[in-house]
Amino acid sequence: MRNAVQTHRITAAQFVIVLALAGIAYANGDVRKDLHFKVGKRPMITIDNPYGAVVVRAGAAHEVVVTAILHSDKVEVDQSQSHNRIEIISHLLSGADVNTGAVQYEVLVPADTNLTVHSDNGRVHAEKLHGDLSLDGSNAAMEVVDCGGGHVHVKTLNGPVNLVNLHDGHVEVMSMGGDVMLNGVSGPLVNINSNSGKILYTGDFAGDGEYDFTSHTGDIEAIAPAYASIDVFARSNQGRVDSDFSLEPKHSSLYTRGGSALVGTMGKAASAVKLVSFSGKIHLKKRQN
Amino acid sequence: MNCGEFERVLPEFLEGEHTREQQAHFDSCSACANLRADLDFISSQAKLLVASEEPRPAVWDALEARLRDEGLIRLPEFVTPKVSIFSRWRTAWLVPVAAALVIAAGIKLYHPAGAGDPAPISKQHGSNPTVAAVAPVSHEDQVLLNTVATRVPAQRARYRADLESANSFIQDAEQSIKDDPNDIYTQQMLINAYAQKQMLYDLAVDRSEQ
Amino acid sequence: MTGARRAQGDKLTETEAIERAKQGDGEAFKVLYDLHKRRVYSLCLRMTGNTASAEDLTQEAFLQLFRKISTFRGESAFSTWLHRMSVNVVLMQLRKKGLPIVPLDEATEGEEEGQVKKEPGAPDERLAGSIDRLHLQRAVDELPPGYRTIFVLHDVEGYEHNEIADLVGCSIGNSKSQLHKARIKLRELLRMNRAEKAGKR
Repeated sequence: MRNAVQTHRITAAQFVIVLALAGIAYANGDVRKDLHFKVGKRPMITIDNPYGAVVVRAGAAHEVVVTAILHSDKVEVDQSQSHNRIEIISHLLSGADVNTGAVQYEVLVPADTNLTVHSDNGRVHAEKLHGDLSLDGSNAAMEVVDCGGGHVHVKTLNGPVNLVNLHDGHVEVMSMGGDVMLNGVSGPLVNINSNSGKILYTGDFAGDGEYDFTSHTGDIEAIAPAYASIDVFARSNQGRVDSDFSLEPKHSSLYTRGGSALVGTMGKAASAVKLVSFSGKIHLKKRQN
Repeated sequence: MNCGEFERVLPEFLEGEHTREQQAHFDSCSACANLRADLDFISSQAKLLVASEEPRPAVWDALEARLRDEGLIRLPEFVTPKVSIFSRWRTAWLVPVAAALVIAAGIKLYHPAGAGDPAPISKQHGSNPTVAAVAPVSHEDQVLLNTVATRVPAQRARYRADLESANSFIQDAEQSIKDDPNDIYTQQMLINAYAQKQMLYDLAVDRSEQ
Repeated sequence: MTGARRAQGDKLTETEAIERAKQGDGEAFKVLYDLHKRRVYSLCLRMTGNTASAEDLTQEAFLQLFRKISTFRGESAFSTWLHRMSVNVVLMQLRKKGLPIVPLDEATEGEEEGQVKKEPGAPDERLAGSIDRLHLQRAVDELPPGYRTIFVLHDVEGYEHNEIADLVGCSIGNSKSQLHKARIKLRELLRMNRAEKAGKR
């Protein structure tokens, strides 16, 4: 295995080209760094970038291509490879802050990559991957799009989490204040644990799965089609629970110690849906059309 | 009172709620005494049925295949290193805090009354917990905040707010468990609340060590 | 369950097995399965009265457990956690099949207000000493599904009425009254079986 490193000072002309290619805006004086690695099947890649975006997409098999834009000399990119493991770390030097320590990454990886990304406040975006994904951040916006087969674990303090079209893997998200939006997410296990962030699910609860959404004060809203096949338990200790669906059987007297609850099934109850909040509002909505 | 009527009130009778007429019938009726003895016997014998059967080996075989299909069982070389709070915490003072966080949820579930409370977090709610109440941070939380503050002061404020939110969640879940210790959904809520606090420590310390 | 509990010839404690299972270790899953399979399978069998369904449900319960094992904190609650999950899996399956989880509040067959039922066997003969575990097991399997659920959860598994009310979706009072009816029904079945056996001699 080998890797090649190219570092050069960006000129004004190159700036325009790179801007167009990478879609990343950066100022004159920024430094671009390109890294190439050869890898085997299911490589494991870790990217640790306190400030700045990390965008990871599926590229060619057996090859990892990293483009890093460094915003100042207060930060360096450290990289290491051991067999199938690669680590990319934005190394903050003395005096680096949220602006001068920022690095923007565009990364192409084999689709079966097991990916780990840490970021404080940059956007983290993973797309079209089917390995395991583990993303954590403080205020970073987390997006995972069109992924399947692997497990997706996301931890965030206050950054929004947006998961779109995920299937066949375990999805586990923990958020303090960040809203968690799930669109077309299905699988054997979808577990969302939020504090004050809202949980918004739009999908059909497919996959004979287990969907556990819990919040402290955040509202939980799930929008499902009329044909959804689910066994539902929904309860808010101090908030309100509403459902557009007619669930069977009805247990109006259930779980209503001071709050609100509903229990029941729709269709063949293939998936178990648990919506639990301490004081957030819960609404199981019927998808129109 | 006849035996049929007595049979219907037997559950309440056994709980000590009965009239003189019912007691008199029970004392004088061998059939009803036998009924009670039989029901007690059935109930006691029922315990023998716990774990009395062994599943066929094929059950494990099928389960193992599904675990592999779903990627829960992995080949050793593909096991992703878990981002664990412990593996990344090198600062000595964090170890007891971490241990306390891990066991606190379990202890809380088994001692909901709060005896020997190991968690340094809670200001007790009144009988009617208020969601927006601010849960104060503990000494350990304070040390963590100071560690975070060595980086950017603004982060300290944010972490403090998040710690208060997590503590508030723990507090509310604990209070709910006191109200109903057997509520499995609240038990899970408490575990989730502690998991949030663990995440805060994890992310904060992880960043501070860079 | 204690922290010192050992599994697989003193090789792995349950705590270690849980931690290793979180990492995807197949052997650790097997250790946990072996520790709890009898309890879970017996529960499923008693609740469904059918070995094929019990096997499927055992598999399903463990699968759900292992899917969530990464969220598990603290060994002391592991057994409780697993068995709750097993109960929920079985109840969900019963709901899917449309089987009654709680029996309808109807009078026991042949029972009329104020009358004593005719019971087989001598009225002064008690059950104690004349039935064993297998007799009881067969009688439980003969119970109507609704009665069986409440009886198994309370008398076999040891759940309290308030827990059962939460689990199956009924009132505490309903759970108590149905348990009583289940025990009465079991007594009838056991006395009937004993009388049949005596008649064959």
